[in-house]
Amino acid sequence: MKLAQGLKVIEKGWIVKPKGFRVRYQKRVDSEMVIEYSPRLEDAALDSDVTTWRYAWKLFQATQGEPGEIVEDELVNITVVDELNNPIIYYVTGEEEIFNLKDG
Amino acid sequence: MNDQLTKLQNLGVLMRDHGLQMILALTVLIVGLFLTKWVVKKLKILLGKVTKNAATISIVSNSVGVIMLAVVIIAAAMEMGAKIGPLIALLMIICLVLIGIIVIFRPLIPTLPFKVGNTVKAAGLLGKIEATTLLNTRMRTFDGKTFFVPNRQILDDIVINYQYTKTRRIKVDVSIRYDQDLAKAKRVLEALMTRDARILAKPAPQVYVLKLTPSSVDIGGRCWVNNAKYWVTKCDLLEKTKFAFDNEGIQFAYPQLDVHHYERQESGCHVLHNGDEPQDDEV
Repeated sequence: MKLAQGLKVIEKGWIVKPKGFRVRYQKRVDSEMVIEYSPRLEDAALDSDVTTWRYAWKLFQATQGEPGEIVEDELVNITVVDELNNPIIYYVTGEEEIFNLKDG
Repeated sequence: MNDQLTKLQNLGVLMRDHGLQMILALTVLIVGLFLTKWVVKKLKILLGKVTKNAATISIVSNSVGVIMLAVVIIAAAMEMGAKIGPLIALLMIICLVLIGIIVIFRPLIPTLPFKVGNTVKAAGLLGKIEATTLLNTRMRTFDGKTFFVPNRQILDDIVINYQYTKTRRIKVDVSIRYDQDLAKAKRVLEALMTRDARILAKPAPQVYVLKLTPSSVDIGGRCWVNNAKYWVTKCDLLEKTKFAFDNEGIQFAYPQLDVHHYERQESGCHVLHNGDEPQDDEV
């Protein structure tokens, strides 16, 4: 295998670089739980996972309700995903993270 | 006395013969100047909505301003009864000569090594260029201060233009303790840079062992990023490196100093080495 081929193999198989990040969350709309994204899927994604996680945490802080039932305008199961909707590891803990985890 | 009287009479004759024309010409000139200023101002606002390029806005609006000014002057001259044929011919000649001089001597004309909007370090200041004139450059530093720097000072100084090239290299240097897993630390740092969406794939991120200091092993990550994203990406990488090393159990090095405690005894000196268990009589 040529060196260039080897580098291509590494590029494809080692670490897949995400192209963008979005906050994914659920909210109650007309007594139905719906999944939404911010920025929306039709808008450009954010390019920093640090910024996106910070944004997710602020959304959580701004909308969290009491433990138990999900109230109107409350965002639950807030996490960060890539452009393929795969969850992104929270860089602070090194694990998957969901803010305001509730049964949706 | 007679001279002054003659002058006044001549002025009276002039006003009688051409007074109306002069007033009209002056009116055209004043209204024209105000109109030009208003049009340039509105044009700048309009162009600001179309493009963010400050240089383009400035060039287009100033060009329109100059053309309008020429038209106003010609119109005023016409009101005065001047023949505009020779005037236009003179203006054309002046324009052609100026263009010729600029084209021929352009390589010799000193130019500022940046454009409006560039981030530069010049004359001991780091900031964004807001505007340039023939005499000075307006620079806004990142703490919000506006500096008017003489161009002479900039031309005499070393200038770093951070946007001359499209990409920049980020350095992430960290120090780890000697008893830590060096290979693991290199892997973690390289993966961190590779995984970041903003880091360019080529040239690929690299991690080097930079130095073996008395109290640490210094490793350095090197990766490339687009200029506009340099600062935030660097800060993010530093933050992520701290957390990633913590999560992987890799300990950073701190400045370390070995202290040897000498205890004078009657029989002479005894040295207590690091790691030695102190004997009862030494404590």
